[in-house]
Amino acid sequence: MEMRKGNSVGSVMVVGGGIAGIQAALDLANSGFYVYMVEKTSGIGGVMAQLDKTFPTNDCSMCILSPKLVELGRHLNIRLMTLSELEALEGEAGDFTATVRERPRYVDMEKCIACGMCAEKCPRKVDNEFNQGLDRRKAAYVKYPQTVPLKYAIDEENCIYFEKGKCRACEKFCPAEAVDFSQKETTHKIQVGSVILAPGSRTYDPKAYDYGYGLYPDVVTSIEFERVLSATGPSEGHLVRPSDHQPPRKIAWLQCVGSRDLQRNSHGYCSGVCCMYAVKEAIVAKEHSAEPLDTAIFFMDLRSYGKDFEKYYNRARDEHGVRFIRSRIHTVSPSIENGGLLIGYTRENGEPAEEQFDMVVLSTGMEVPPETAALARKLGVALNHYNFAATNAFAPVSTSRPGVYTCGLFQGPKDIPFSVAEASAAACAAAIDLAEARGTCVQVKELPAELDLSEEEPRIGVFVCNCGINIGSVVNVREVTEYAAGLPNVVVTHENLFTCSQDTQEKIKQVIQEYRLNRVVVAACSPRTHEPLFQETMRSCGLNKYLFEMANIRDQDAWVHQKEPERATEKAKDLVRMAVARASLLKPVVERPLEIRQKGLVIGGGVAGLNAALNLAKQGFEAVVIEKEEELGGLALRIPHTIEGLDVRDYLHRLIAEVRGNGNIEVLTGAELSGFKGYKGNFTSEVRTRDNQVHIIEHGVTIVASGAVEYRPKEFLYGGHPGVMTQLDLGAFIHDRASEAAGWNRAVFIQCVGSRNDENPNCSRICCQGAVKHAIALKDLNPDMDVIVLYRDMRMYGLLEDYYSTARSRGVLFSRYSRLQPPEVAGNGAGLYVTFTDHVLDRPVRVSADAVILAAATIAADTERLATQLKIPRNTDGFFIEAHAKLRPVDFSSEGIYLCGTAHGPKLITESISQAMAAASRAGSFLASRDQTIGGVVARVDQSLCAACLVCVRNCPYGVPFINDDGVSEINEALCQGCGICASECPAKAIQLAHYADDQIMIKVDALLKGVV
Amino acid sequence: MIMAKAKPMDEIINEIKGFRKVLIAGCNGCVTVCEAGGMKEVELLASALRMFFMREGQEMEIGETSLTRQCDPEYNRELQESIRNYDAVVSLACGAGVQFLAEMYDNVPILPGVDTCFIGVTEEPGVWTERCQACGQCLLASTGGICPIARCSKRMANGPCGGSANGKCEVNKEIACGWQLIYDRLKQLGQLDRFEQPVDIKNWSTSRDGGPRKIIKEVSRQ
Repeated sequence: MEMRKGNSVGSVMVVGGGIAGIQAALDLANSGFYVYMVEKTSGIGGVMAQLDKTFPTNDCSMCILSPKLVELGRHLNIRLMTLSELEALEGEAGDFTATVRERPRYVDMEKCIACGMCAEKCPRKVDNEFNQGLDRRKAAYVKYPQTVPLKYAIDEENCIYFEKGKCRACEKFCPAEAVDFSQKETTHKIQVGSVILAPGSRTYDPKAYDYGYGLYPDVVTSIEFERVLSATGPSEGHLVRPSDHQPPRKIAWLQCVGSRDLQRNSHGYCSGVCCMYAVKEAIVAKEHSAEPLDTAIFFMDLRSYGKDFEKYYNRARDEHGVRFIRSRIHTVSPSIENGGLLIGYTRENGEPAEEQFDMVVLSTGMEVPPETAALARKLGVALNHYNFAATNAFAPVSTSRPGVYTCGLFQGPKDIPFSVAEASAAACAAAIDLAEARGTCVQVKELPAELDLSEEEPRIGVFVCNCGINIGSVVNVREVTEYAAGLPNVVVTHENLFTCSQDTQEKIKQVIQEYRLNRVVVAACSPRTHEPLFQETMRSCGLNKYLFEMANIRDQDAWVHQKEPERATEKAKDLVRMAVARASLLKPVVERPLEIRQKGLVIGGGVAGLNAALNLAKQGFEAVVIEKEEELGGLALRIPHTIEGLDVRDYLHRLIAEVRGNGNIEVLTGAELSGFKGYKGNFTSEVRTRDNQVHIIEHGVTIVASGAVEYRPKEFLYGGHPGVMTQLDLGAFIHDRASEAAGWNRAVFIQCVGSRNDENPNCSRICCQGAVKHAIALKDLNPDMDVIVLYRDMRMYGLLEDYYSTARSRGVLFSRYSRLQPPEVAGNGAGLYVTFTDHVLDRPVRVSADAVILAAATIAADTERLATQLKIPRNTDGFFIEAHAKLRPVDFSSEGIYLCGTAHGPKLITESISQAMAAASRAGSFLASRDQTIGGVVARVDQSLCAACLVCVRNCPYGVPFINDDGVSEINEALCQGCGICASECPAKAIQLAHYADDQIMIKVDALLKGVV
Repeated sequence: MIMAKAKPMDEIINEIKGFRKVLIAGCNGCVTVCEAGGMKEVELLASALRMFFMREGQEMEIGETSLTRQCDPEYNRELQESIRNYDAVVSLACGAGVQFLAEMYDNVPILPGVDTCFIGVTEEPGVWTERCQACGQCLLASTGGICPIARCSKRMANGPCGGSANGKCEVNKEIACGWQLIYDRLKQLGQLDRFEQPVDIKNWSTSRDGGPRKIIKEVSRQ
């Protein structure tokens, strides 16, 4: 793409405020670009906000999303435009003029205090979209309690005033005079350098199926069921069926509703997430149910292809007792007796069966809404045949229009972590285009100097949260607030509906200033998710952020003592008393700015590593790639083409040439990391090449792209017969000896070799598409060849499903085998015999074969040494563990180190590219940041007490303490991770962890036991 | 380094139950390193004792401190003022420290809080083993650096005895035969000829047999 150098605009427009848009916006805004976030509805959060829990960790969706919403809402360099839509985009990459139409909210956001009076007084009730119409909201409303901005809006379509010309009750009762019916639609012309389209998808409408959706109230979609399970849903988290509000005893999930189906206005693709969310919903429903709950999932192929998903599926089946029934359901009909729902299905052996359920959940797929397709057409962005943005496997976030990128569900069906990674990838692509304009449009926050409070007595403010109903429905929050007012050093208390909301932060600031607070206590949820938010609020008032303490009266109280509200209230008082006691002893902790070396080290020279390096370099940072082999390219060297037919070798040649030709990149092959020390922003690596040269590299970030390997099968005569080969072997064979392969009469693919067994319980994700890709390639070579694929579940997720359909239409035979009855392979001179049990015939079938192709698992490379050197964690299977399975997919928990490619888990080339760009984005964002600090919660040694006993040295999991030249222990504050193990182990009590000093802990214990002992 | 281990709680409770105010005094030397008597152990013991006496309903005030070393008078003198507030002191130092403290403060009972065990090493975190018996005349030069006094259960100067089997001692199958270790080591060093001639009878007068010992280094005397 031609870029007009020096003239690009340092701002980006992100369209869509779901998790993908949010991540892209945050990455860019944290890297020195100004971001306009354009959201169609009145608040951001998207579909993720509607989910109850997320797989495979069962984290509460809202709890992990909410801090990001707030960060975005508070970000100095993000302008959030709600009720807004992108209308037109003129100009070229680097310098677009976007036309944005903003609809009136009829509420002045500056004035609204989100008290809810307008909604209370509004006489018009309408279906609540956020709860999927399962309950009602008013025409004056907030989208959901944690949304950002937390400002009410008046829904013009349903407002009585707009219908009949009178009412205006909201206006009359609003105590803040925030309702403003004079607001008009406005059109903004905004100059931006790049655009990221993250408009998301919508749920398929299942009315076309004979499932009685819309007819029988107890047939619900999966997203409706998420709302039923959610604490902020229509039944406040109580699992009841819509018809009679009674708890169901039996629930069925029907998979592939609107997916993998070419009829009924449905879609040919697999929506990619429904199997996992159904499994999750079944587990969570069981947990929500007081009585034993029977759950059954009716499916075609169970597609648990993601990292650790197979284990989750196994646990659901083996530990939670979720039933899995392999059958596509054609009809749901009402039962004559007791109002249940009847599902007729066919057992695997062909016998008909019928079962009654209290509730049926339709696992509806996702689709691109027509308005998104219309927007794309208006912007000149090409769509594929399913209306997803047309992208290339090697440039997964680039749309057909230069300078316009995409991520999330508009790019194709995918789950949250891949959306998040893709969002970072899109941010990376946008940042590259505008690299020269970085920092030109942003504002820098001037924080007030920290106040010196050393001479002041503690003045504590306590804020007690209702967390909507999470806390307030169990704990008597008013009583707790009143109690807190009587505690020592407390000068003011407040009760909040949502203490984490943006306007409450403003309120806290006012209170801090008005009452000259020097300590703040929030009694709410978990500091894990919300502490940084409150600390930022304090910092903006000139208070050191460590003068803050939280009491978790939600997770540790309201949630676990739901049935004993009075005792829960007493416990909340205990927790608040403890927090206040500790707050009185808190001291300011100093953090220092950190200089960041503007260079990255990329470990691994495969597709992921090369892309990571290239994308880092294109952002303007230096990169060093080290590859242990002499040749760059990694595993992809053995893959001739992708399933789309793209030439991988050609791509690799171009990629390698670009990397080698980039002046910002140094490439070291035959190279291994021989030493690694330092910390985020300040690493020093020692790299040894085969010629025994030692390179010392000083760098600020590290990207791990060390790859994976193909399992070498011990099964099925592999290695003992030339006709038995792996998929990689076959790829090379077809490429090099096509005419020989064309002469085969029959080829048999065996799936899940070395995957999904006791030894390796994971699904290797890529081998189903590998088999289909090669099966089609063999059919291309010789249409008369018999091609048989023996599989357990065909996991052709997302748009890959098309190729599965193509393979079947081309005559490839797919026969499922059970894990208990695997196929057998026997040699027959030059040929082979394969015996397998066909589940329809229910008897063994023996066929001859010229080739047997094994879907050998993708297993972790041997990275034990690397893991030890970098001190980064791996799971039991040897794949590296990211910082958070959902929202930090390419970060490690140790800062400054990032992860991409198959070192994270098996994945396709396009997915590796996306992740590599994401890692480059996260790394670039860190390198570009100016506000990194060290110090804070770290361990400090009182050297006069140190006995040099080595206990800290031996116990530190990060290897930080050492005995210095003075013969005493020393802990580098930049390396210390603040875990506190040394402080607790030190036999001389010479080490204290800042902010967790003994007295600060003990006073909590004393406060807890006050009056008891 | 001198190795010690915490005394059983019951024993310490028995030592102090007649008092009202007790100071727990740790030592920042050897007993800190072997995790028996440093400040951390002081705090743990004090806390456990407070809980015990609170449950018993007995009034008991417990103070906590730790001295740099209890085997030097200057450090012990640091207690001069505070010790008056206590009826007794439980010292978590080795036996030398307990006695030395007692010598300085003859009005206050100084009670041992640890059992002093041996001179030894940290074999691995949490595992300490004996290496030296302070016999006063080191033999290690002729035994491959492995002490027959500390490592042989019988302290034989010319071993092994007939009880050595498969490298283990007849006293206990868990104990390595000291003389086997010496043999292996000397073999490695090519010094097996050491076994050709028995060594003379050891002069135990430099050890405990000569009564309490004393070292005088004239140049260091003031």
